[in-house]
Amino acid sequence: MTMTLFLQSILAGLTNGFVYGLIGLGIAVVFRGARIINAMQGDFALLGSVVAYVVSTRLGVPMLPAFLTGVLAGGVLGLLVERLLIRPTEKRAGTEDSYLLVTLGGAFAVSAAVLLYFGRDSYVLNGIGGDASVDVLDAAIRVHAVWLIVISSVVVLALKLFYGHTRVGQAMLAASIDVDGSLTIGINVPLMRTLTFVTGGLMGGLAGVLVAPLINIHYEMGLLLTLKGFAAAILGGLISPVGAMFGGVLLGLVESLAVASVSSGYKDVITMVILILIMILMPQGLLGRRGRQGG
Amino acid sequence: MSRGQDVFLGIACAAAVATLVSASPIRAQTAQGEPIKIGAVVSLTGPGAGLGQPERNGMLLAEKDVNDKGGVRGRPIKILVEDDGSKADNAKNKAEQLIFDEKVVTILGPSLTASTGAVSAMTNSEGMAELAFTGLGPKIELSYKSLYHLLPPQELNARAMLEYTTKALNSKKIGVLHDTGYGQVVTNALNALKAQYGVEFVAVEKFEVGATDASAQAAKVRAADPDVVFIIATSPVPFRNARQVRISQPIVSAIGSSSYDYVRGMGEFADDIVFPEFLVGEDPLPHQVEFVKKYREAYNALPKNYEAAGWDAVHIIAKAVETAGPDAKREEIAKALRGPYAGVFAAYNFAADDMTGIQLSSYVYSKLVKGAFIRLPFVAK
Amino acid sequence: MASLTGMRNRLVVAVFVALLATVWSVVPLLAGRSTVDMLVFAALYAIAGLGVAFLLGQCGIVSLAQNVFFGIGAYSTAYGATVLGWPAPASMIMGIVISGAIAAAVGVPVLRLSGYFLALATLALAVIGHVLFLEWDWLTGGTLGIGGIPPLSPLGYRINTPVRFYYFVSPILLVLILIHYNLLRSRTGIAMRAMRDAPSAAAVLGVNIARLKVKVFVSSAILGSFAGSLFAHYVSFVSVDSFGVDRAINFLLIAVLGGARTIAGTVLGALFVTALPNFLSRIGDVHALLFAVLLIVAVIFLPQGFGGAVAQVWRHFGRRPDHAGRVTKGSPP
Repeated sequence: MTMTLFLQSILAGLTNGFVYGLIGLGIAVVFRGARIINAMQGDFALLGSVVAYVVSTRLGVPMLPAFLTGVLAGGVLGLLVERLLIRPTEKRAGTEDSYLLVTLGGAFAVSAAVLLYFGRDSYVLNGIGGDASVDVLDAAIRVHAVWLIVISSVVVLALKLFYGHTRVGQAMLAASIDVDGSLTIGINVPLMRTLTFVTGGLMGGLAGVLVAPLINIHYEMGLLLTLKGFAAAILGGLISPVGAMFGGVLLGLVESLAVASVSSGYKDVITMVILILIMILMPQGLLGRRGRQGG
Repeated sequence: MSRGQDVFLGIACAAAVATLVSASPIRAQTAQGEPIKIGAVVSLTGPGAGLGQPERNGMLLAEKDVNDKGGVRGRPIKILVEDDGSKADNAKNKAEQLIFDEKVVTILGPSLTASTGAVSAMTNSEGMAELAFTGLGPKIELSYKSLYHLLPPQELNARAMLEYTTKALNSKKIGVLHDTGYGQVVTNALNALKAQYGVEFVAVEKFEVGATDASAQAAKVRAADPDVVFIIATSPVPFRNARQVRISQPIVSAIGSSSYDYVRGMGEFADDIVFPEFLVGEDPLPHQVEFVKKYREAYNALPKNYEAAGWDAVHIIAKAVETAGPDAKREEIAKALRGPYAGVFAAYNFAADDMTGIQLSSYVYSKLVKGAFIRLPFVAK
Repeated sequence: MASLTGMRNRLVVAVFVALLATVWSVVPLLAGRSTVDMLVFAALYAIAGLGVAFLLGQCGIVSLAQNVFFGIGAYSTAYGATVLGWPAPASMIMGIVISGAIAAAVGVPVLRLSGYFLALATLALAVIGHVLFLEWDWLTGGTLGIGGIPPLSPLGYRINTPVRFYYFVSPILLVLILIHYNLLRSRTGIAMRAMRDAPSAAAVLGVNIARLKVKVFVSSAILGSFAGSLFAHYVSFVSVDSFGVDRAINFLLIAVLGGARTIAGTVLGALFVTALPNFLSRIGDVHALLFAVLLIVAVIFLPQGFGGAVAQVWRHFGRRPDHAGRVTKGSPP
């Protein structure tokens, strides 16, 4: 393998890895706050990117406000999901599988709605710096990808601070760990749960607007992203946004290097086998913290 | 009732009938009577939608064209289009519906090879003619008596690519980037032809059909230092990735990748890509001009290959039913198809072994230059 | 007194069953061919879904790998029939043996995981299986697939129309359901429920949890393979696209919608997942969205799945007085 190929693989792997990590981040946030696996996370991203696209191309809004609108759209969808899907399920004593299935239904619904209103074509969202690339020796990485990595890292750290050091963040955690205890000390548990989904939605929307310029908006992209994000989150131990990011980057790098060094046909086989091995051999998830929620 | 009321009723009925008859358009050429039902199973949703929707547009335009010109032996045709969602099981189910419940005369489609496998097993056992929007499929088809293909076999597509590469670009070192579906089939055909054309595939990399990124694979192709790069996929993703990892060599692609959606998806990288295809809407060949004009008037867009195939399919079957007669037995209709037909898409010969009869000379080479297609003068023989 | 009421209950059950049987046998004569075709698919997917439901309902294991075994069964039949020239039962058994062996081999390390790790591991298996189906195209025909699989012909009678297949596969499905029903009531069934609800207690009482999990996983795989073989004979053509992750999600949907803790609910789940999209597609482009909405509604309002809802209705009508004349709840689900 030449140096260029190796370097290019690393860059591609990092880019994809942060994409997976962003989705996994959202899944971890929702799980941390509500103990629910959100099968719709990738579709939050889809919606965010579609809204950003519509606002920027059909309404002529410049890039940054359009991006922010997309992120907010994700948050709004998170709110709607909590009110319309999660609460009714909870009221009727849904099982763990019910929540998974209801969010899966939500994922299908978003995908079908996008297909209905926007058709089966893929759409291009302009990224930061357009299609420009930065050269690293003889390899290249898109300017937008660099921004994605930077913004994702900042967001992860911000979340860590949020959960660790703000009252609201701690309240959200408390509400999910111990409902009765939280109620006793006056935490508005239902509100915390809503906030969790809104935060998850915002993360999803952010993922969408950051990812879309790299991969083209397409009505089927939601579920695929969710699966990869799910793997990333699990690798990270499921409750930690930082862990999800690590998991995603690991996944992306393994994929790229598998292609470069072994074979592109068997890329997924290699990645999945390594995933299974990690789960069997490292039951605490990548970061080895106590209290992992994989099982 | 009294006599007077009877008379009144009779006059009222006659008046009503007379009004209805006079209200319908009096154009002697318009087809009238019991419509001849033609079934169509195409992929309107799912990964194959990029094929099925253009095919449907072409078919419906042709249906109108045929009916405006008097239909088949005076009777209008009616095309019943069903969606198989890009899945073979659904295709079988829809075909069951069309053949046994709707009692259609023939089946057009499907758009994908797997669906064609499922549907053709049925049409073959029923002796019904089928015009598939796919190329020749697995070997079992060679024993079928009434299946015809409207698209070239992948072997011919591979040949067309190699003809251009060796004769116009004078290159022998080729890197291939393909997807695991349609791309794999074409690549297999390419491999089988490499000795004949004296070329070497210095890199062959693949990615899944729905993949969001193929940069790593593209990088590997670049590292092998080819003279020309083949990209065979039904999505714009690999084209973008290839240019982004700094592949600067000319790119030759295949017919499935030349739609305007993909061009949009390629963004600024829709440049310097050659397609061996059959119809360049911006610059059609003389026998394609009328179709392009009609399509533009109806849909306000330029047609490409799959629309033309849909158009041809309907005209081909209309001609066959005209020859054999609408009440002819299925075997007779199938037999009436078994001959040459000069279509808009290509010059067919359904009596040929590959059930298509398209020759290399039917290919029209186009080049994507800054997002627009121009027709190349190159002709393969 | 009690015996009279007991007799009345038995009568109600008998009438209900007779009604069901009549409807079942008459449907193909009244419905169009494509409807019967769809019911056959529902039955085939119900068989595969039964495996997933059993694993989920009784052992609490979410398996997304059923598409792999479904595919192995289908390809074994395809390869056996077209390349090896074997009789149908032989190919079917080959598929079952391969599926069972893979399930056992993979199950031992993987089933040690729990919860979401296990679900992800089964998903990983689904992906691996799908890729191998694509890559090993010398065996599977890849995207082009394998065609020309002959229909089943027991004793020379060719089952090559939807109606014939309907009458063929429905009793098979019924038998499988009854077998699982019996399994639920057996000692193994109790052990499984103990493993699901109170693993530590079960372990203390001597239930070999790891072994039991593998056994159930293997039997689930066998069901999937069997369904796949029947599928191949029915469609006469198999291709990779039918055995992807979306198929695995479909099977899981069938299991959960059917109400994993009841067995017969799987049939209703299969009908929902197979028949509903088909009917809805006549409405037009909005059908995909409509299906998703109906799915959400079904999940929210029927947390125990269709089977659970039916069981509740059953219990309601099954109330009978005990010896003291007090009305108690009827038989357990």
